[in-house]
Amino acid sequence: MSVPDYMQCAEDHQTLLVVVQPVGIVPEENFFRIYKRISSVSQINVRDSQRVLYIRYRHHYPPENNEWGDFQTHRKVVGLITITDCSSAKDWPQTFEKFHVQKEIYGSTLYDSRLFVFGLQGEVAEQPRTDVAFYPSYDECETVEKRIEDFIESLFIVLESKRLDRATDKSGDKIPLLCVPFEKKDFVGLDTESRHYKKRCQGRMRKHVGDLCLQAGMLQDSLVHYHMSVELLRSVNDFLWLGAALEGLCSASVIYHYPGGTGGKSGARRAQGNSLPAEAVNRHRPGAQEVLIDPGALTSNGINADTSAEIGRAKNCLSPEDIIDKYKEAISYYSKYKNAGVIELEACVKAVRVLAIQKRSMEASEFLQNAVYINLRQLSEEEKIQRYSILSELYERIGFYRKSAFFKRVAAMQCVAPSISEPGWRACYKLLLETLPGYSLSLDPKDFSKGTHKGWAAVQMRLLHELVYASRRMGNPALSVRHLSFLLQTMLDFLSDQEKKDVTQSLENYTSKCPGTMEFITLPEGLKLPPVPFTKLPIISLLFNPLPTILDYLLELKKKSDLIGNKFYQVSLGDSNSLSFVCGRFFNIYFQWVQGDVCEVQLMVYNPMPFELRVENMGLLSTGVEFESLPAALSLPAESGLYPVTLVGVPQTTGQITINGYHTSVFGVFSDCILDNLPGIKTNGCTVEVIPALPRLQISTSLPRSAHTLQPSSGDEISTSVSVQLYNGETQQLVIKLENIGTEPLEKLEVTAKTVNSKEKLYGEFLSWKLEDTLSQFPLKPGKIATFTVNIKVKLDFSCQENLLQDLSDDGISVSGLPLSSPFRQIVKPRVESKPINPTESSKVGDFSHVKTLEAILNFKYSGGPGHADGYYRNLSLGLHVEVEPSVFFTHVSTLPATSTRQCHLLLDVFNSTEHELTVSAKKNEDLVLHAGECQR
Amino acid sequence: MAVCIAVIAKENYPLYIRSIPTENELKFHYTVHTSLDVVDEKISAMGKALVDQRELYLGLLYPTEDYKVYGYMTNSKVKFVMVVDSSNTALRDNEIRSMFRKLHNSYTDVMCNPFYNPGDCIHSRAFDNMVTSMMMQVC
Repeated sequence: MSVPDYMQCAEDHQTLLVVVQPVGIVPEENFFRIYKRISSVSQINVRDSQRVLYIRYRHHYPPENNEWGDFQTHRKVVGLITITDCSSAKDWPQTFEKFHVQKEIYGSTLYDSRLFVFGLQGEVAEQPRTDVAFYPSYDECETVEKRIEDFIESLFIVLESKRLDRATDKSGDKIPLLCVPFEKKDFVGLDTESRHYKKRCQGRMRKHVGDLCLQAGMLQDSLVHYHMSVELLRSVNDFLWLGAALEGLCSASVIYHYPGGTGGKSGARRAQGNSLPAEAVNRHRPGAQEVLIDPGALTSNGINADTSAEIGRAKNCLSPEDIIDKYKEAISYYSKYKNAGVIELEACVKAVRVLAIQKRSMEASEFLQNAVYINLRQLSEEEKIQRYSILSELYERIGFYRKSAFFKRVAAMQCVAPSISEPGWRACYKLLLETLPGYSLSLDPKDFSKGTHKGWAAVQMRLLHELVYASRRMGNPALSVRHLSFLLQTMLDFLSDQEKKDVTQSLENYTSKCPGTMEFITLPEGLKLPPVPFTKLPIISLLFNPLPTILDYLLELKKKSDLIGNKFYQVSLGDSNSLSFVCGRFFNIYFQWVQGDVCEVQLMVYNPMPFELRVENMGLLSTGVEFESLPAALSLPAESGLYPVTLVGVPQTTGQITINGYHTSVFGVFSDCILDNLPGIKTNGCTVEVIPALPRLQISTSLPRSAHTLQPSSGDEISTSVSVQLYNGETQQLVIKLENIGTEPLEKLEVTAKTVNSKEKLYGEFLSWKLEDTLSQFPLKPGKIATFTVNIKVKLDFSCQENLLQDLSDDGISVSGLPLSSPFRQIVKPRVESKPINPTESSKVGDFSHVKTLEAILNFKYSGGPGHADGYYRNLSLGLHVEVEPSVFFTHVSTLPATSTRQCHLLLDVFNSTEHELTVSAKKNEDLVLHAGECQR
Repeated sequence: MAVCIAVIAKENYPLYIRSIPTENELKFHYTVHTSLDVVDEKISAMGKALVDQRELYLGLLYPTEDYKVYGYMTNSKVKFVMVVDSSNTALRDNEIRSMFRKLHNSYTDVMCNPFYNPGDCIHSRAFDNMVTSMMMQVC
């Protein structure tokens, strides 16, 4: 007895074992078809009685296990059905011979046998034989089931006769000693006459009868017999058989208590046809353990079982708690014998199944723990796998999912143990997949995007690594890419730097052969592996756009008249929900993109990896409008900080567009990342309205570009700004070239100007232009250039310079409201009070850096093409930065008494700071010509 | 004396795990991970009524060939698991109990740290030292 049957359960004790085997060459498919049909006849109500006979079919049974048949009769092969393929009558004798050979193998225990011959027709087939059935083909064998039923009835007759025989002959002659194979030599030369020996024989025989009763469907009788046997064997310390008797007692009680069965799979079948009352399920009977042995019942019970059934049932059946105690006891007896390892193991398995039904997991785990340590002889690899899988299954049944996963994983590893010549990677992979729930791991990355990772990362990572490896060895690179990407995506936080490097390295290796895709991978087992987008490589963190600007936009755009620069900000507002709500509305309503224009989305990304990350093919994902995304490639330095990335695309039609994600290709894996699924990002895409095409203008000017950018105080986007330096009073022409770089003709243009820096008093018109000249060139075809001239004229008031006034005060002149400097503005006649004047020539050289700046914005509002028809305009602003320097300085002021006392001469030292000649004109039209750098009085 | 000490969060993921033979850390991960089955079972067996005044110490979870695994669960369902060398017979139940109590106190200190986010891995030096002392104590 060496091969344990891990599938055994307690109810198997009441079954008759029938082996179904092919003889000669029988196609496997056909054999199993027949085998299936045969197995469907698994319980028979024996005629003339209420007893039910259960049959257990096996297509393979090691003959050495058969030798233990006396020990526990359900191990005994009592029936043999052979199936054979025989095409011609010539082969028939040979086939029949084979059948007999087959019978020999189990010969010692067989009650009966049958041969099913398929394919043979003709006279041979016509011979009526009881043990042979002929069928023309595998398809025409309707009577198979009927035959089996007949066969089972014949088995029952033998069984019943044996039972009666054994049950009654106790009074008569010497009882033979039943023994298990390894015991045989122990009894050589033993005194067969001793009382001890006799008792032992009796006990064993009683137990055997119990087994037979159980098989024959007489549960109560078997209980009585088992109890007697236990008593007898206990007194002679025959531990092995005592264990068996106890186990028999347990089995019978289990069958009584749990008619639903403990095996799990067969439960449904057994529940239907069971003759036991349903209310017996789980009926607890405290005190039932007290043993009642009714010697009178033993002999008479054989046939009229029902009379004393009620009494016997109540008293002889073990309570559920006692079942476990007795199992424990039996197992401890078995464990005394090294050769009974298999029996012990099977008893453990059976006990666990019972406990699983009783939902007593803790005790079940103890039994299992024990089973783990039962040392059988050297197991083959296949047996090891089987053993681990069954342990895993049992652990799962008692609700120990982690333990179950652990053993399943061990079994998986066993499949590919180095000692196996042909590693079963496929089986290994399959088993590994089954362990996933035990490690609370699902292969759907969505489950991980919600909140932080919860799970036992170390073991999960290990498992994923194994999955990757197994799938690679299976020759399915797509699968390993998927698993590896999953590993990288979900376990990123737990990988060390070195591991990150290793994982990405191998990922790149795999993807060079098989790029990662966004398709579902369907496994043969029906499991679907969802795609794994790399939402963390790089990590996207959205640009923060200050809220005031947004509000400005809102106001501006409510007018609905003009449109915006085509920049579009995604806003992440950290923890503030209310703000993100505002932004959501903002996106939905107040943004518009123009069809055919390049539109941008700005993202902030960062690379969490300790090495440079190459992101290729990064583009936008959108729905709604046909959108041509222009992919970008970027390379992020190791552990970069936030790194701005602008993704661009061109909407091709008009309507609502929703930007709901982006796609990337990292390490050769393509990923589509939907914003919805990104952790930490609240917006679920942004909706933008795309309006019909508009022309676009590009501005170039005659003036140099300014480094100085204007503060866009009102949210206007200043596309360019220019700067110019002028002397006060100077006029300059600014030629603006308007180039239509769009695809639509420019039809309309409006220009407005706004002076930004209004602190200075400005005289006259600062900016002036004639629009008509430009408009005459319209409509401007794409690519054409129109010019637009703006006159810049600066007239500023440079008066009231502090230091000059200071000078005047020093001179003792009270100057009130004296507008000094500012040439071109005529010096008004000063009213100076007559006072003695002491001209002091303490002229300080004036500070020449009295530069004032003027800033203005030129707004171009233009439109054309289909967009114009819908009333959309585009706005373009030109910033103008003018630095104004005064052209003359009065370096010194003094008064001279004039001829009349009521008048005085005002002497002004005028300094020309320009490089040009200039004329100072006073009221009387006396012109004073000042040359560059000259100082005159 | 303890060879491995682990703190496991309510959601059954490790907050802290340390073992002495560092080369075979994964083995202890498995040992502790599977012990959670027994913890779950023990907790569910206790029933709801007793939860309030129940004993925090769960006792021996299961023995393996070389080790014994003990468990302890706080009222906030944070579990402590300690793996002890089974050859160390000197270690009584009472000592294990007191070790768990010490561990619990130290864990409470960690939780009191305003900079510690419940649910994060424990990176406290004080806790580390305490665990080290418990691992070293006898051997």
